[in-house]
Amino acid sequence: MKFLERLLESRLWALMRKETVQILKNRQLLFLLLFPPTVQLLVFGYALSPDVRHLKLAVADYANTADSRELVAAFATNGIFDVAAALNSPQAVSEAVRTGRVTAALVIPPEFQRDLARGQTPEVQLLIDGVDANTAGIASGYASQIVRQFGYTLAGTSPAAIDPIVTILYNPGLRSSWFFVPGVLGLVLTLTSSLVSSATVVREKDVGTLEQLLMTPAAAWEILLAKLAPLFVLLVGEALLALAIARLAFGVPFLGNFWLFMIFTSLYICVGVGIGMMLATIARSQTQVVLTAFFVNLPLIQLSGAIAPIETMPEFFQVVSLADPLRHYIAIVRGMLLKGVGIEALWPNVLVLAASAFLLIAISTNRFRRQLE
Amino acid sequence: MTSLHPAESLQQTAPDAPAIVVQGLVKRYKQLAAVDGIDFAVRRGEVFGLIGPDGAGKTTTFQILAGVMEPTAGTASVLGRPPRDARLKIGYITQPFSLYLDLSVDENLRYSAELKQVDEALFEERRARYLKLVDLDRFADRLAGQLSGGMKQKLALCAALIPQPEILLLDEPTTGVDPVSRREFWDVLAALSEEQVTVVVATPYLDEAERCHRVALMYGGRLESPDTPARLRAGLGLARLEVHASDLERAEQVLQTLEAVEDVQTFGDRLDVLVADPERGERAVADALSGLSPQVGRADPTLENVFVTRLRQQGSDPPLLNFPHPLRRSAPAEAVAIGAHQLGKTFGSFRAVHDLSLEVHPGQIYGLLGANGAGKTTTIKMLCGLLPPSTGSVTLAGESDGLRSSELRRRLGYMSQKFTLYDDLSILQNLEFYCGVYSVPRRLRRERIDWVIDICGLRGQENLITGQLPGGWKQRVAFGASVMHQPEVLFLDEPTSGVDPLARRQFWRLIEMFARAGTAVLVTTHYLEEAEHCHRLGFMVAGELVIQGTPGEIKARQPGQIYEVVSADLPHAARALRSLFAQASWRVALFGDRLHVVLDEPDARLAKLQAVGHTRKIEYSLEDAFIGMVQRARQEGS
Repeated sequence: MKFLERLLESRLWALMRKETVQILKNRQLLFLLLFPPTVQLLVFGYALSPDVRHLKLAVADYANTADSRELVAAFATNGIFDVAAALNSPQAVSEAVRTGRVTAALVIPPEFQRDLARGQTPEVQLLIDGVDANTAGIASGYASQIVRQFGYTLAGTSPAAIDPIVTILYNPGLRSSWFFVPGVLGLVLTLTSSLVSSATVVREKDVGTLEQLLMTPAAAWEILLAKLAPLFVLLVGEALLALAIARLAFGVPFLGNFWLFMIFTSLYICVGVGIGMMLATIARSQTQVVLTAFFVNLPLIQLSGAIAPIETMPEFFQVVSLADPLRHYIAIVRGMLLKGVGIEALWPNVLVLAASAFLLIAISTNRFRRQLE
Repeated sequence: MTSLHPAESLQQTAPDAPAIVVQGLVKRYKQLAAVDGIDFAVRRGEVFGLIGPDGAGKTTTFQILAGVMEPTAGTASVLGRPPRDARLKIGYITQPFSLYLDLSVDENLRYSAELKQVDEALFEERRARYLKLVDLDRFADRLAGQLSGGMKQKLALCAALIPQPEILLLDEPTTGVDPVSRREFWDVLAALSEEQVTVVVATPYLDEAERCHRVALMYGGRLESPDTPARLRAGLGLARLEVHASDLERAEQVLQTLEAVEDVQTFGDRLDVLVADPERGERAVADALSGLSPQVGRADPTLENVFVTRLRQQGSDPPLLNFPHPLRRSAPAEAVAIGAHQLGKTFGSFRAVHDLSLEVHPGQIYGLLGANGAGKTTTIKMLCGLLPPSTGSVTLAGESDGLRSSELRRRLGYMSQKFTLYDDLSILQNLEFYCGVYSVPRRLRRERIDWVIDICGLRGQENLITGQLPGGWKQRVAFGASVMHQPEVLFLDEPTSGVDPLARRQFWRLIEMFARAGTAVLVTTHYLEEAEHCHRLGFMVAGELVIQGTPGEIKARQPGQIYEVVSADLPHAARALRSLFAQASWRVALFGDRLHVVLDEPDARLAKLQAVGHTRKIEYSLEDAFIGMVQRARQEGS
């Protein structure tokens, strides 16, 4: 009772009440917290998928025999290629690829049946539009697989002594959304926490109330803590929302310990909020803070492996990315959601997060009082 | 008619038709009627003043006349058209001035010209002309953000003039502007009026209202029939007595109980007493003050007397209530509550404050005066620990180190120049917040908050969003918020800026109440008659404290002699006398309906004054002293 009395009388309580009322009155902020993250998760989850399906295929079947038609059918049945055109001249084929009407073209020469009959390896030509290198690579991989498979069926034998059996762990369906969604979750938390926290801190400066606030007995840490506590609650709510979307829309599993995950997520929210606060103490107005946040957030995201795997980066940047807290958070999310590992495997990442959060918050608290100078 | 008006614009309305006609105008916001059925007409070339307390509906009226808001009922016509259609002919300056602070003076003007599609050649010509008129031609390349408050207002006026409006709507254009710049601003308005520009202006300064052709008093959304200042003064039906006494505070208390006295007001170093019958009143006052060696003189009532009396009749006098449960203070009177020793601050190569030393003791009110940009706000920020000084030291509430400690700040109160309240919170939420951060004990909070709401006259409106309050009202709430913890040291940076005259009186009574309870107060103001309430004054010019002392000492130390000149044709008299002084035209200043002339060698020029009008030797007022000091410094600087 006495404790409650003291709490209600404390400066911190007064500051927190004021911030909470201001946040609740700020409809725009609440909207910003809920709407874009949902959209981002859905858009990234669905649209960023690197899977290649329904590629348009032109076919020039000069052989036109039962076997050649079967080969065409083999291409058409697995959903990767759709036969979009049947052509009969080499010019028409190359024209179709050049204009982008089709992504790939299969040319079966007239000798196809003859070679087969003679026991020679028949040759087929596959033209692939290489402008989109990624798609081209995947298409070529699929195509060679289909052709090889077709060859085996024809020959009726198993060609190789070693037939590798690959088992894919953690993401058995190799669903790329499982890779992306945890990354986007980290990305969304970074963006919203840094933007929202910088906006609330810098607003006082923008309107001119900062001076008055600094003249009150409230210490810098009290002011900042009061500003961030209600935001923190909202951001945790946002993390839960993102998690729910991951589960419901993409079926991403959750194998780890939920509470441990929320603790680590809270730690990362502290990092995001720390970034925002620091930007706010540097910037002089709302527009400035949004622009600087852009400069900071983009490299953070690029280096984190949220979208492109870290292994695809040049070695130098792979080293640099070790300093990116988002990289560590995403490692935690992927590890806990997909693999179900806990602190025993993730402690280095957690350590980096804790250190970044401490550093950022310490620097901004220290800078806060000196902003007017 | 001069070149100001292209011929075609005059053909649309007859030359003698009123420029603005307002009939039965009503504007409602939900249930609240901001403007409640007003009628008036403004002649072409007239300077028409709207005066009234905060929240009277002046700003709403301006917004309707400017065509940015539609009335709920009634009509407004500007130049014979609905305001919306006349917008190209209207120049409108809003309360927070509409300049781009990161653009230069020239760029601001050019933008304004392009917005209203002013021809390039015409623009060049007008630019040169108006910049010269407002005396900003030397600063064309300076960023608007780096101009002083007065210069910004003149630039805003200049930008509004570029499209050559026939109508100027000015909503409190001189709020927060120093007395010298205010005079210059009004000189420009007078010049424009002579060129047949119609000016409608709202102002909380009643000496400015004296310079209008006609004035209308507005309150509660209603308008009293407009009249000339002279007739308004005469229509009051009361006589004014100027009373000097040895103890003004005591004299005021005595006179307030006197039946023959309608109103008493401390006005600088004298009391203004309104009585129905001058002879009987004079005798009654002299008798009542017999122990205080009174000197009673008769004078005409001022517009301020009219304003205050009318508002009192409306019952809108804000109450003066004692602060609930004040703490007893035992600080010795000789202790240093605010001290500065050789304080200096430089920003880059700019020396904002230089070698400033001052001392304020508990219970003392110290007034820091100076033109816009003289360094007052920088000084206050250094004194209260917001800004570290480049040189020198500060003592606060007896402490000289740890000026940033939370413990010390608890004993300070601070009201900054603007925006001290959170606009998105309600009045009550704001007050609760400040009670909380200053750790006012919970059992006292309710009382103190009620006290603020009552002195502001906002009972029943506690849950109004602060952003919707008119400026002057916000100032009152902000003042309340900054004293709820009964600080030992109180900093007030232009607390009464934009506050109406009646509320300003209450403000000073409250400040005096806190001082009597032992609070040391440092205050800045541009109302120099208010500065008389201060126990000690310091004048700042270009970052330096040039003179300190009691109001009496400062006035006594002014060089030269002041003469008051009264003339039937004041503008003519002013021009004639100014031409006399050539380079030092500041020596002739308009005070309401009379001129004040400063002569360093009276004998040589007195005859010329007497040729212009009725001349009499008077004592220096603080405002005369202020103008003299600022202008002499300016002359030396150039």
